[in-house]
Amino acid sequence: MALPADVDPQIYAVVADCFAEALGLDDDEIEFDSKVIDDLGAESLDLLDIVYRLERAFDIRIPRSGIERASREGLEEGESYEVNGVLTEKALTRLTAAMPEVPPEEFKPGLKASEIPFLFRVATFYYLVVKIKEAQA
Amino acid sequence: MHARDPHARFAFLVHPLGDAARRVAALRCARPGLAFGRRDGRDGQDSLRLCRLLLRHEGRAVEGVVVSVPALPHQLLEDQDLALRLMRHALAHADGGVRTVGLGSLLAVVAGRGVELQRHLWQPVTTGAAATAWAAAENSRAAARALGIWPRGPIALLGYGGTVGRAVAEQLQEWGIEDLRVVARGPVARRAARADMQVHARAEGAVASCPLVVGAATTGGILDPAALRHGAVLLDVAIPPTLSSRPPAHVRVLAGEALQPPGGYRRGLWGRLYHLMAGYGPQHLFACLAEPLLMALFDRREPFAQGRFVKPEALRDIRRLGTEAGFRPVLARRWRTVTPDRLGRRPRGSS
Repeated sequence: MALPADVDPQIYAVVADCFAEALGLDDDEIEFDSKVIDDLGAESLDLLDIVYRLERAFDIRIPRSGIERASREGLEEGESYEVNGVLTEKALTRLTAAMPEVPPEEFKPGLKASEIPFLFRVATFYYLVVKIKEAQA
Repeated sequence: MHARDPHARFAFLVHPLGDAARRVAALRCARPGLAFGRRDGRDGQDSLRLCRLLLRHEGRAVEGVVVSVPALPHQLLEDQDLALRLMRHALAHADGGVRTVGLGSLLAVVAGRGVELQRHLWQPVTTGAAATAWAAAENSRAAARALGIWPRGPIALLGYGGTVGRAVAEQLQEWGIEDLRVVARGPVARRAARADMQVHARAEGAVASCPLVVGAATTGGILDPAALRHGAVLLDVAIPPTLSSRPPAHVRVLAGEALQPPGGYRRGLWGRLYHLMAGYGPQHLFACLAEPLLMALFDRREPFAQGRFVKPEALRDIRRLGTEAGFRPVLARRWRTVTPDRLGRRPRGSS
């Protein structure tokens, strides 16, 4: 599958390599839009390993729950991010904007905060790396 | 080859699981600053020596020290480089002569599952996954026999995609389990299917009709107890526990990785307290702790487990050494050994 035009193939190759090594998969099993948990079979601790490998490979620091934090930005004081674990409408809107690589229909009402990792694509980590690298530049 | 040094040494690195454990550990080491939340010491990295362990076996002896790094789980997850620094610092200040390094709990996972720490050390670093898988596999087979379902099954295994889960599944298959049900997705699911396992996308589907469930997932709280069939036995290797809430009376939850140490094993008062706080009673120990111990005792220089996968030969090897040294996997519940005979009886609440 061809990469989107805005993707740097060299950076992506390193990202894909980190996924392959962390999950014990072949490179050709990793695709840009693969779901990290459902398609690649990653478990929660694998996400930790993937993040660590990306940090090492790119000499960056990826904050834990970085995506969730980004989606909380813009919430005004007193606005809730979640109620009983379920994301609020405002949080869903923020999350949709923070993760453009995920089809909007997956941000459906009733989505729980604990289900956010199931939305992660390889692309999610690619864009996170690029964003952090750009911020460091 | 056996250790010639009469006191081969190993270090086992752990971390406090919560504030209460941190306070007890810090007070035991007379470090009130740590007890109340500060990471004190000259550079904020001081570790705590929790206890010493000793095993005498056929004229040889191995001595271990359990060292706690001063960071809680969320701190280790937040900054894996900090975790690496703390582990290196702890070892630099452990007694000299440490020949093997074992990693406990999250320390076995952060910073590349022992791989990154190994780059900085000459001693072999092992994560404990091989011994954990050995104990879990032996205990699974023993429980299945007690329940009268070995080798036909079905046995459900949660966490097949993880290090321990995969090793346990492969071992059970090598021993001849006929109906093994796993939860897996993507390429992992395809591999499991090729290996003649019954693959389910959700834990509830896998466990539905299984008298025995092995919980080896890397995430706790993934299974609603209501999904378990009446009278099911859950052999739990997962920390935090597999179940999302308290199980009903008819479900029996057993420790999945308990080992009974041999007669020559000494751990002293603080060693006993450490085991109690870690969740194991006075008669048992964590299998992962036995792994560096066995490596030091038998002078093994190659880690049994490091990184993502445990090799089948490593599992066979540690099983042989563990048995030779007198360690025995046991079914345990609430700090007590559960005999196969007792496990085979009808549980409370059964009609």
